[in-house]
Amino acid sequence: MYSQSRRYLLVVFLTFLVIFEMVAYVTTTPRPREQFFQLYVLGANRLLSDYYPNNDPNIGVGDLVRWHVGVTDFMGSVQLVVIRIKLGNQTIRPPDDLQAQPSPAPLVTEFRRFIQDNETWEMPFSWQIVNADMLGGSTRILEMQINNETYVVPGLSALDGHNFRVILELWTWEPQSGTLQFGWSSGNERRVAWLQVWFNMTSTVRQ
Amino acid sequence: MVEGDPVLRIRSFLIICIVLATLLSLTTQTIISASQPTDEPQSRFGTALDLVHRAEAAGATHEETAGLVILLNKALQLGDEATRLPSSEAQRAVLLAQVDDILGKVETEATRLEVTASQRTSTNRVVAYVSGGVAAFLATLAYACTGYVWRRYRVKRTFQMRISPK
Repeated sequence: MYSQSRRYLLVVFLTFLVIFEMVAYVTTTPRPREQFFQLYVLGANRLLSDYYPNNDPNIGVGDLVRWHVGVTDFMGSVQLVVIRIKLGNQTIRPPDDLQAQPSPAPLVTEFRRFIQDNETWEMPFSWQIVNADMLGGSTRILEMQINNETYVVPGLSALDGHNFRVILELWTWEPQSGTLQFGWSSGNERRVAWLQVWFNMTSTVRQ
Repeated sequence: MVEGDPVLRIRSFLIICIVLATLLSLTTQTIISASQPTDEPQSRFGTALDLVHRAEAAGATHEETAGLVILLNKALQLGDEATRLPSSEAQRAVLLAQVDDILGKVETEATRLEVTASQRTSTNRVVAYVSGGVAAFLATLAYACTGYVWRRYRVKRTFQMRISPK
């Protein structure tokens, strides 16, 4: 009777042991989660509006455009992120989501920053076209000022100044290759994040 | 005689050729790798980031790595300032030396953090599993005591029963 009772208690103990050790395993093992970044552009008032002065997408030389650009890290670790600013026209290829290829549009500048997991890096992004000319019905942007720094744009033109665009690409440091890469790796997949905002330049251009 | 033996002479000649070829290939490789354009500052940031990732994987907390991220951003800022000063070599060298110093600090701190975080994670894991065992023992004890008390209560109730005629 006594030994039967002891055997019964042993079974109870082992059952409890399995349950509590499972709880210990679950609490000490980090759960896998989806890894991604969030990239956004907000208007002058940090809203999804007011992207252009007076809400007019027709930008003139010297018109200051105020945006806020932000990135949030949901990768679960510290990341080196680079936002590359490119200037495109209607014909230039945008980034390719499927092949994870960046746009061949000329690079104007880039902003780099280390951010922690769940951290958002938001920066004011003020830009204006400071030099442009018009040749045979084609408007060409020559110089652009971003956050009070002037950058020379390698000859980008658009017919009648229509459909220029600012392309923002998110690049990250890839530890495996030891290089900066467009987008990021999530498991075996390559993912990308990019944005573009269109504008026209049909007025106040030197002939 | 060794000197006169043609087979030995050919063998010696072949050995010398192999040694020379090996030395030549090693020297060429060294020259090629030295002449390759390397993105030294970028890769240095990458090395520091790898060490921070290791510390995080070992269990370093958000608060612990926050200091390292501040230092890394400071180094990035100084690096950017250095690239904006191409004309002033002396100032540039000073800034790059500061970048190097900061990245060195980050690497040292990240390595230290990896060790402490790893030890803490192991300790926490051991404590969690031992706690599981202790909890199982206490639960079994509680189960046995409850059963004992319940049995005594049933026996007591049995002896307190009265037969009442209907």
